[in-house]
Amino acid sequence: MLAIENISRKFGHKQAVSGVHLQIPAGSFIGVIGRSGAGKSTLLRMINRLVEPTEGRILFDGVDITKLSGKALRDWRSDCAMIFQQFNLVGRMDVLTNVLTGRLNKVSALRSLARIWSVDDRIMALSALEQFEIANLAAQRADSLSGGQQQRVAIARALVQEPKIILADEPIASLDPRNTKIVMDALLRINKHFGITVICNLHSLDIARDYCDRLVGMAQGRVVFDDVPAALTAEKSRELYGIEAADVMDTSDAAKGVFGQAMGGSISGLQTSH
Amino acid sequence: MTPTRQSPTRDERQRLILAHPLLFRSGNRQLIKLAAWLAPALIAFCFGFYWLDISWGRVWLGLGRLGEFVSLMLPPTYGDTNAPFDFWRSLSDTTKLWIYLQSLAETLAIAFLGTFIAAVCAIPIGFLAAKNVMANTILHFLTRRFLDTVRTVDTLVWALIWINVVGLGPFAGILAIATSNFGLFGKLYSEAIETADTKPVEGILSTGGSHLHTVRFGLLPQILPIIVSQILYQFESNTRSATIIGIVGAGGIGQHLYEQIKILEWQHVSFLVLLVLAAVMMIDFISVRVRFAIIGIKQGSVAP
Ligand SMILES: Nc1ncnc2c1ncn2[C@@H]1O[C@H](COP(=O)(O)OP(=O)(O)OP(=O)(O)O)[C@@H](O)[C@H]1O
Ligand SMILES: [Mg+2]
Repeated sequence: MLAIENISRKFGHKQAVSGVHLQIPAGSFIGVIGRSGAGKSTLLRMINRLVEPTEGRILFDGVDITKLSGKALRDWRSDCAMIFQQFNLVGRMDVLTNVLTGRLNKVSALRSLARIWSVDDRIMALSALEQFEIANLAAQRADSLSGGQQQRVAIARALVQEPKIILADEPIASLDPRNTKIVMDALLRINKHFGITVICNLHSLDIARDYCDRLVGMAQGRVVFDDVPAALTAEKSRELYGIEAADVMDTSDAAKGVFGQAMGGSISGLQTSH
Repeated sequence: MTPTRQSPTRDERQRLILAHPLLFRSGNRQLIKLAAWLAPALIAFCFGFYWLDISWGRVWLGLGRLGEFVSLMLPPTYGDTNAPFDFWRSLSDTTKLWIYLQSLAETLAIAFLGTFIAAVCAIPIGFLAAKNVMANTILHFLTRRFLDTVRTVDTLVWALIWINVVGLGPFAGILAIATSNFGLFGKLYSEAIETADTKPVEGILSTGGSHLHTVRFGLLPQILPIIVSQILYQFESNTRSATIIGIVGAGGIGQHLYEQIKILEWQHVSFLVLLVLAAVMMIDFISVRVRFAIIGIKQGSVAP
């Protein structure tokens, strides 16, 4: 259980996130939506502590993670894996080593700095790559991969962290429709198969409706919507997005999302499939 | 038919021009600006010639003298040059050749050791001088200025200083190259670190990696190829410096070059120059290959 209590963050005079309360039970698939600048990335990055909150606290199973430092902080970061829009891989290193960096927190400093990985770790990394059908790329340099492949490497890296939560900050924003589906399916699979909580910032409402069991809508740093996708009516989303609403919705048929779709049975909202 | 290009009305034109006066300034301003930059440069150039009393007549006379020198230098040899001169006979006397080759090897050793010591010692200071690694602004500023000071003093001056400290010989040469390059490498490293992409660093941090991990995995892979090619380039440049500092007594082939110029053995001088040239070319040849081997490592696809 992740409990976000009255969390706020200021950048200079700009209030990026203000007074957010959220209770997130283990195993949820949460979509965070809202227009650009609403504070979605800041919220996610505060959970991983890449950004420090200016106010409030975040409890995970009763432990205040905003107070952690040193080894305890690194352990927490390893427990809540992060997936970035720009993948944030080490381009000059091969794919397998990139996945293995997900193990850094769990191996001794000397071994990790010398890049001596145990056979178990390597097998774990390879099997993670295999799940996303890119094990054959393991020896290739990460920057020689396509965007969709790189994002799958990033998800494999997250997976070998053996995290309790996965935070994904617009994981599909730089991908084409086909890769979008592959990456979202991968996240859904991790969520259903391993029971890992997924919190995912999304730009597209249709994708959010299709995959998430709960949507959190943000505007100007505040949570203004928090419910199942079916409750997000056309009116509500217009409130959330203002005049941009037409851009993020496929058609005027804004309320077509059905909760049951998130189970992966029939993902009809996607325009393309292979 | 619909017009493909929108043509604004007169009023519209006027409104746009008035709204953005800066974008519609007359072109003359650009010319004036250019002249304002060029004029001082031209004046400085002419004044320099006048002040240093350079006359073109002397250049003409000197040109003739230069031709004379070149003829004195031919053919290059390492043997006996007394009259009657026989090129092939002079080549058969190899005592000097071995001495020259040995001192060339000494020069290469000085350049190699000096470069190596500088490259290694500059690593920690390079990180200290990088803004994105060193959060403390005062320490960052002090390291930067320290590196600038070390770098500004020329290798030749460092050689003269070190000769006074450790005495004549190759050790002074090594220290001279090491010190002046230390400043240079420190600056080059810190710049490579500062321009490195921060996304991989954030990626490593987000997995729960330590500060050392972010440097090892996030920064090092990015800066290593840059650093290696800079070291190789400096090694080549330092071979030339090591020749020059030999002249003031810091070991190596420069000593012989200086001696042969003093006793007017021009054919030996040209031979020594060719020897250095060959060494530099050889280093260049090797360093290009090493650089590509490192930069191109694991590039492209590898069979599964
Ligand atoms: N490091 C920073 N320094 C200063 N201001 C920042 C910083 N990070 C975010 N902000 C500001 O905080 C606000 C929220 O930013 P945030 O990145 O969280 O928005 P977002 O909802 O993720 O937007 P987008 O959908 O465009 O990614 C914005 O106004 C942004 O300008
Ligand atoms: Mg964002």
